[in-house]
Amino acid sequence: MSGLQFKEVEIFCGTGGVGKTTLATSRALVLSQQGIKVLLITIDPAKRLKQVLGLSDSTQGVIQTIPLTHFHIEGASSFDALLMNPRSTLARIASQSAEASDLNNPIINILSKPYGGMNEIMAIIEVQYQINTGLYDCVILDTPPGKHFIDFLQSSKKIVQFFDKSFVEIFKFLGKRITSKGEKPKKRLLSIIVQSGVKKLLTYLEKVTGKGFVDDFIDAVSGLYRNREAFLTALKFQEDLKKTSFSNWFLVTSVEQGKTQEAIGLKNEALKFMHKDSFLLINKSLSPYLEDWNPKNNGDTGLFKLCNSMKARENEIKEGSKEGYKDVLFFPEVLGATPISHVVELAQSWK
Amino acid sequence: MKVATTSFSLLPSILSDKKARLIVITGKGGVGKTSLSMASTKFLGSLDRKVTYSSFDQSPNLELLKSLNIDPLNLQVESSAQEYIAKKIGSATIAKWMMKTPFFMSLFNMLPGLGQMILLGNIINLLENDPELTIVLDSPSSGHALTMLESPANFKEMFKTGLIVEDIEKMQRFLFEEENLLLITTSLPSQMATTEAIELGKDLISRGVPQVTKVLNDSLSNCTEITNSPEEQYPDFIKAKLSMENELIGSLKGESWPIIPHFSLNKQDQVINAMAGFLKSNLEVTL
Repeated sequence: MSGLQFKEVEIFCGTGGVGKTTLATSRALVLSQQGIKVLLITIDPAKRLKQVLGLSDSTQGVIQTIPLTHFHIEGASSFDALLMNPRSTLARIASQSAEASDLNNPIINILSKPYGGMNEIMAIIEVQYQINTGLYDCVILDTPPGKHFIDFLQSSKKIVQFFDKSFVEIFKFLGKRITSKGEKPKKRLLSIIVQSGVKKLLTYLEKVTGKGFVDDFIDAVSGLYRNREAFLTALKFQEDLKKTSFSNWFLVTSVEQGKTQEAIGLKNEALKFMHKDSFLLINKSLSPYLEDWNPKNNGDTGLFKLCNSMKARENEIKEGSKEGYKDVLFFPEVLGATPISHVVELAQSWK
Repeated sequence: MKVATTSFSLLPSILSDKKARLIVITGKGGVGKTSLSMASTKFLGSLDRKVTYSSFDQSPNLELLKSLNIDPLNLQVESSAQEYIAKKIGSATIAKWMMKTPFFMSLFNMLPGLGQMILLGNIINLLENDPELTIVLDSPSSGHALTMLESPANFKEMFKTGLIVEDIEKMQRFLFEEENLLLITTSLPSQMATTEAIELGKDLISRGVPQVTKVLNDSLSNCTEITNSPEEQYPDFIKAKLSMENELIGSLKGESWPIIPHFSLNKQDQVINAMAGFLKSNLEVTL
């Protein structure tokens, strides 16, 4: 595996519980030992990275330097790590904006809570920002499981839809300022049909949600719109991801679970975004242990049955989804209790 | 390696409690949420209870459900929302038109929690309309389960007034005050998974969930094939796994987590059927 050249961005994705976080951390460890400047970002709200790196909740949103001595490895090497926090990302956008007060809106505040629902969109903005700082040779992404990873990949599409022209018409109609200070608004004629439609829509909406929400929501959207540059810069990331020279994709799957079908489903979805430099990582492989284990057939409830079922699961995952990858990498199951011992052992397999 | 039988009979008795109208099963990814959800559905069905399975906002594994003969609840965010609006403003036509406007489409795109809240509202509605019904919710994993359960409080804060706030309050009463909710976190016997379950349990309780049941799934030390075989026949890696697991169970500080053993079967539907059978046979022991 020594030939696996690092790229500017390395994405670890997969279904839940397959070991994305520990594998991504082991990759960060191996690269930083080679003198490469690494930033490891977790955008999964479960934040197992916190546990692996021994960080507290209060470090969310702030880059932390992790010395390799944390993994009982001698020397002065280290890598940086970030537990993504949507609120910190939003605060930075606001601090760099001439329209900062626009983002101080009750709805935006609720949405940018750690579990508020804007995780994926904020994550793509954060990643692009960290790449742009130029401080790192390699940014490693630990992504949320399954469907939420696809949400992350699609968030740039959501950003585009959100700032869609026809949507903006509503706010122009309401007399909201949607351009930045100093920017000249483009002239656009609204048809009478759109106007009456909007009026009706808002009347109905108020019936259900109350007037307060409608006012806050309109303020929130026009505030976001005036700050749209900050959101739209993140779209470049999506474009860059398509380049083989820019990114490595690691789809992680695990022998431990009967998740072959789910892994194939995720791959098919992710394929729309992935390129040919993608690798399948088969984690928690018991093969090295199972090869030497041949218990006697002593009936239906003994070790023979356990061994056979373990071997069958192992084969299923091996045969299941190899197609379409540049390479398949095996990581044997680590028989250690602590997350640190897992990272250190997995790092050996990268080498 | 002997385990008290209470760790086997606790889960079936908690699951079959008739007060538990909505059974939410969450936990770290890959811990067996789907298996336990489907096994619980089969188990309650075998007790002649009216029960249905929902994969919530994830697309259900139809092939697996079919092989288990489970008919899942099929809820769509958009149609649920449209139905809700139609009821509130008294017109299906207007509701249909509203849902198609760019304004609403953007609303749903930007606020994923809104869709989750609407689904949850729909589920609670079904339960309120049918006092015999129990729904097993195969929930998103930890963090996203928090998003789901936090959504009513967040949207209540957002909407402030209006018809929708009354409905949110109704939802919260059903979920948090009237003991209808049985919340189960599932773990594998690994430090990462149990730590996540413990943290999640605290988080859920701070968000108003009255009680959280933590289950340890896939226990090798309780697997029939292991307990039936003499220890000297275990290969070294199995011994290492067993000793890690026993150390972990010992470290759970006196808390008794209901245990589900590892089943030595190749296919997921076989495992789920075995799990449902395990729940049933251990319930009968306690009767």
